[in-house]
Amino acid sequence: MKLNKRSVAHYALSDSPADHMGFLRTWGGPGAPPTPSGTGRRCWFVLKGNLLFSFESREGQAPLSLVVLEGCTVELAEAPVPEEFAFAIHFDAPGVRPHLLAADGQEAQEAWVKALSRASFSYMRLVVRELESQLQDARRSLALHRCTSQKASASCRKPQAPDSRSPGLENGHFLPRDCSPVGTVEGVGYRPVGWDLPEWELQGPTGLLLGRGQSPVSPETSCFSTLHDWYGQEILKLRQGWQQRAQGKQPGCKRQDKP
Amino acid sequence: MRYNEKELRALSQQPAEMAAELSMRGPKKGSVAKRRLVKLVVNFLFYFRTDEAEPLGALLLERCRVSQEEPGGFSISEWLPPSPPSRPGCFLPGHKNLFDGPRAAQGFIEDPERKYYFECCTQEQCQEWMEALRRASYEYMRCSLIFYRNEIQKMTGKDPLEQFGISEEARFQLSSLPRDRRAACVGTQLDELD
Repeated sequence: MKLNKRSVAHYALSDSPADHMGFLRTWGGPGAPPTPSGTGRRCWFVLKGNLLFSFESREGQAPLSLVVLEGCTVELAEAPVPEEFAFAIHFDAPGVRPHLLAADGQEAQEAWVKALSRASFSYMRLVVRELESQLQDARRSLALHRCTSQKASASCRKPQAPDSRSPGLENGHFLPRDCSPVGTVEGVGYRPVGWDLPEWELQGPTGLLLGRGQSPVSPETSCFSTLHDWYGQEILKLRQGWQQRAQGKQPGCKRQDKP
Repeated sequence: MRYNEKELRALSQQPAEMAAELSMRGPKKGSVAKRRLVKLVVNFLFYFRTDEAEPLGALLLERCRVSQEEPGGFSISEWLPPSPPSRPGCFLPGHKNLFDGPRAAQGFIEDPERKYYFECCTQEQCQEWMEALRRASYEYMRCSLIFYRNEIQKMTGKDPLEQFGISEEARFQLSSLPRDRRAACVGTQLDELD
């Protein structure tokens, strides 16, 4: 299988941020015995996004190896040399041996395990989607808050955003269903007709989520029309109250059904 | 540079965000367009012979340029630095923008020999692919994340990542971006969105 290696190598050396780097001992490489032994080889490792590169030295100008950190798990492991702070990258694929690596100390070992286990693109995408949905909630409640404070009605409560906290964001594991395209940053411009909130509230990032429908974090609220109706009830009530007051019929806003 | 083909093959079998049979032409001189199954999985684009499960190849989509090609096609150009590569943590002058667009063209040297061409059935399909490919980079994701995090923090006064215990994570910090790109990252999206 071909890989655009030259481009990958350029990326390894480019100015894009490195998420972690340091010296690690490695037992892989060409001609390595099936069971690692000895002290291994000390290399400079650079983690960039979901790609782990190794270099001969800190100044190395060509990566020695590449590991794509997708569909793998990172666990503490036993090193062939006692008192090594080893860990292994396991791939759930037939015939793939784990990558055995060792740090200089416990702190470095922990930092590497943490960084590597959160490195997948899928994990990054999950966090992005979570924040997208939080921003949408924040914008909505701000819109509603402005609306209610303008009308100065005590009975207007803020809506409780549906609980969309997703568990497991901290450990880097992601759900296999997370495979649909992410909402577009450009927005698709889908906006329902007849929505009476001030236009500016609905422009911008609120439009982000409306493109692709499916949310990986809260499938039950993934459909925009459901969300729209859900929030819309509140708006309709407010609007009704406001119209009635504007017409001078009901100065009290709501609670008119109570004697 | 060593890599394990079996690992990449396993990745190519993962659920695809986009997959279609497209006409594809490689960068080599005199290469002709061939029918290929093209699959987008995370930040890799895999291509297969239409009757084989084993991928022929993979393209890493970081720092690539996706352009419209006439008619009903698009191309992916590999990114090459304008000067000898620098070490991670440095940045190349003039390379200002993570996003594809006129500004991204600065600092981008296109090598006609490293350009892959794809032909779609319809213009619509072509647009869909280009959109998906432009978003399919880790750097794009990181930039989006930082943008959302800043916006939420501005609106609510709270760090949205705190509840997950990942607010200290290096990859989610604005400072993880090269200085010249911080403003470009947030700025571009603000331009587009507000």
